[in-house]
Amino acid sequence: MTFRKEVRTWLAEHLVGEFAPLVGTGGPGREHEHVELRTAWEQELGRGGWIGLGWPTDVGGRGASIEDQVTFHEEYAKAGGPARIGHMGEQLAGPTIIAFGTQEHKDRFLPGILAGTELWCQGYSEPGAGSDLAAVRTRAELRAGAWHVSGQKVWTSLAHLADWCFVIARTDPGSVRHRGLSFLLVPMDQPGVEVRPIVQLTGTSEFNEVFFDDAVTPAENVVGEPGDGWRVAMGLLAFERGISTLGQQVGFTREYDEVLALARSNGTFEAFEERLVDTWAGLQVLKHQALRTLDSDASSSTGVEANVNKLLWAPWHQKLGELAMAVAGPPSTLVSPEGLSPLQNLFLFTRSDTIYGGSSEVQRNVIAERHWKLPKDRP
Amino acid sequence: MSDLDDLRSAVRGLLTTHAPVRAQLHDDPSVWKRLTAEMGLMSLPSEGMPFSYVCAVLEETGRVLLRAPYLSSVVAAAALHQLGDTTYAPGLADGSITAALALDGRLDQVVDGAGASILLLADGDDLLVVEDFTAEPLEPMDRTRPQARVDLTRPGQRLGTSSHARNLQYVALASESVGAAQRVVELTVEHLRVREQFGRPLGSFQALRHRVADLTVAVEAATSSAWYAARAVSASPEADLPVAAPLAKAVTADAFVRVAGESIQLHGGIGFTWEHDAHLYFKRAWTTSLMHGDSRTLRRLAFQRAGQ
Repeated sequence: MTFRKEVRTWLAEHLVGEFAPLVGTGGPGREHEHVELRTAWEQELGRGGWIGLGWPTDVGGRGASIEDQVTFHEEYAKAGGPARIGHMGEQLAGPTIIAFGTQEHKDRFLPGILAGTELWCQGYSEPGAGSDLAAVRTRAELRAGAWHVSGQKVWTSLAHLADWCFVIARTDPGSVRHRGLSFLLVPMDQPGVEVRPIVQLTGTSEFNEVFFDDAVTPAENVVGEPGDGWRVAMGLLAFERGISTLGQQVGFTREYDEVLALARSNGTFEAFEERLVDTWAGLQVLKHQALRTLDSDASSSTGVEANVNKLLWAPWHQKLGELAMAVAGPPSTLVSPEGLSPLQNLFLFTRSDTIYGGSSEVQRNVIAERHWKLPKDRP
Repeated sequence: MSDLDDLRSAVRGLLTTHAPVRAQLHDDPSVWKRLTAEMGLMSLPSEGMPFSYVCAVLEETGRVLLRAPYLSSVVAAAALHQLGDTTYAPGLADGSITAALALDGRLDQVVDGAGASILLLADGDDLLVVEDFTAEPLEPMDRTRPQARVDLTRPGQRLGTSSHARNLQYVALASESVGAAQRVVELTVEHLRVREQFGRPLGSFQALRHRVADLTVAVEAATSSAWYAARAVSASPEADLPVAAPLAKAVTADAFVRVAGESIQLHGGIGFTWEHDAHLYFKRAWTTSLMHGDSRTLRRLAFQRAGQ
C-alpha cells in the first residue's frame, strides 16, 4: 500500500463516528471549536502513529521523508482533518527538545507529545516584546533546585488547554537583548500561572495572556545552557522548511473555491472576474513556491524561504478575505444569530496573518539583512 | 542537481567573459559559435535532455539579455524534436541554422526573424515550418532583441499542432525573464550597498530595504512559477503544462516589469542614463510583457484551461 493510500484509508476509517463533527473545524480564527473532542482526536492520531512523522525513529518518530510528510498534510487537509491541537508540541517544542535537549528531556517530554496526552503552548511574545522579541522582560531565577518565573506573556494560543509552556525568560539579571535568556519548560497547572483569554476583533478568543507570578519548574527543565535560550529559540527556524504549507494550501483552495462558487451563484462573477482570476493565479504560485522550497533539487537556496513564503501567503490570504466580502456584497456586513460565517471569519481573522509569526515588516527586514546583507537601519 | 548547476556555471562563465550586457547591443557571431559549436547548447533538445536544462541555460542568457537567437532556436528545436522531425534537427543542433518563431501568427513583428533559416508559424491550431521568406529588420526599442517584418515567399509545410510549441515558448520566456529579473535585483542591491547619501549607505534606509525585500519576494515567486512550468514540460505535458506555461509567462513577465521599473527608481539619476544597463533590462521586460500574450489574457487562459 502506498503511503498516500495508507493515510487516506486511516483517515477514512477514523475521522468518523464520534469524530465526525470535527471535519473542517479549528484553525486560525476557529481555535475555540470543539476543543475537548479535538484533544481526544490528537490522542487518536497518536495511537495511529501519525504524530512526529518526521521525527527520527530513535526518539519515537517515524523518520518519514519530506515527500511523505507533505503527503500526510495534503491528505489530512483534503479529508477535512481538524486543526491540530497538539501542533505546538509536535512542530515547536518537540523538535527543539530533539535538537537541543538532554536524553532526560527527550524521555520525559517526547512520549507525551507523540501520544497527544500533553499539550504545549509557546511563551515568546510579551506586551513589550512583539516584533522585538529580544526585549523580553519575563525573568527566572534559580533557587533551591527550581526556576522561579515571573512576568507576562501574550498572544499565547491554546494556553488555556496546554499542560506545558516553553518560555523564553531572562535568567541573567542585568543582561540585555539576546544574551542572558534561557529556554525553560514550565508546567501550566500551578498556582503561579494565570491564563486570561484575549477577545480578538473577531469577537472570539483563541489567544491568551499568561501571567507568571513566581511559577516554578525544576532546575533541569532548561533546554540548552542557561543564558543560551536565544540560540535555542531561533535554532528551530533553521529546520523550518514549510512542510505543513501544502496542507495549509489545501485549506486555501477550499476557501477560494467557496468564494468562486458564491460569485457564480450570486451573479457577481463577471464583475469580479479579473480579481477571481488573479487570486486563483496567486494560489497556484503559492503552490509552486512551496513545492520548489521543498524540492532539494531546486537550485539557489536563499536561506530566507520561510520569510518569502510568509510574505507571499499572508497578504494573498488577506486579499482573499476582502474578495470574499466584495463578492458577497452588502449582506456580508450582517452577522447571523449563529455568529460569523466562515467567509466573514476569514475576512476578519486574516488581518492577523500579516502580524503573527513575525510581522510582514519583520520578514522584510530579515530578507534585507540575512539574504542581501544590507547594513542595519541604525546609526 | 549538480549537472544542472555545472551547466549554469559554465554558461554564466562564458557569457560573463564573452557576452556581457553591453555587448548585446550589436551582433557578434562569435557568441553564437561559442554557445553552439563550443558548448553544444543547441543540441540539448535533440539529445533528449529535459527541458529544464534548456531553461537553466535561458536563465543565464536572460541575465545578460543575450541578443543571439538562442531562445527562438531552442524552442523551435524542442518543438521539432517532439514532432519527430529529422530534417532541421541536425542544423539546429550544431548551430549552423537558426529559427524564428511566429507562434502568435503575427508576421509583422518576428523576433530573430532576420538571419533565421526557418520560421515556425502558427496558423490557428496548425504549426507550419516555413523555409522561404524574406525578413526586413525593424528598429526595436529593446536593441538587445532584434525584430523583423517577415513576408512569406512560399507557404509553409504543416508539421502538427501549434499548442505545444506555444507552451514551450511561454516557459522559455519565463525562464529568461526570471534570470533577468534576478540579475536586476542583484544590481540594485549592489548599488544600495555602495551608494552613500546623508553619510550612510542607501541600503541602510528601511524604506529602501523593504522595497528590496518585496522585489525579492516577487522574483522568488516568479522563479517558482517558471521552475514548476519547466518541470511540467517533462512531468505532465498534457495535463499540467497547458496551465502552468501561460501562467508562468504572465507571472514572470509581471515580476520582471516590476523589478526593472523599480530598479531605475532605486538607482536614482544614474539609472536614467543611457550609460547604465538599467534601461536595457527595463526595455526587455516590457518587450517580453507586451509580446507573446499579455499577462491578463494569459492568466485567464490558464484559469480556463484549469477548468475553473
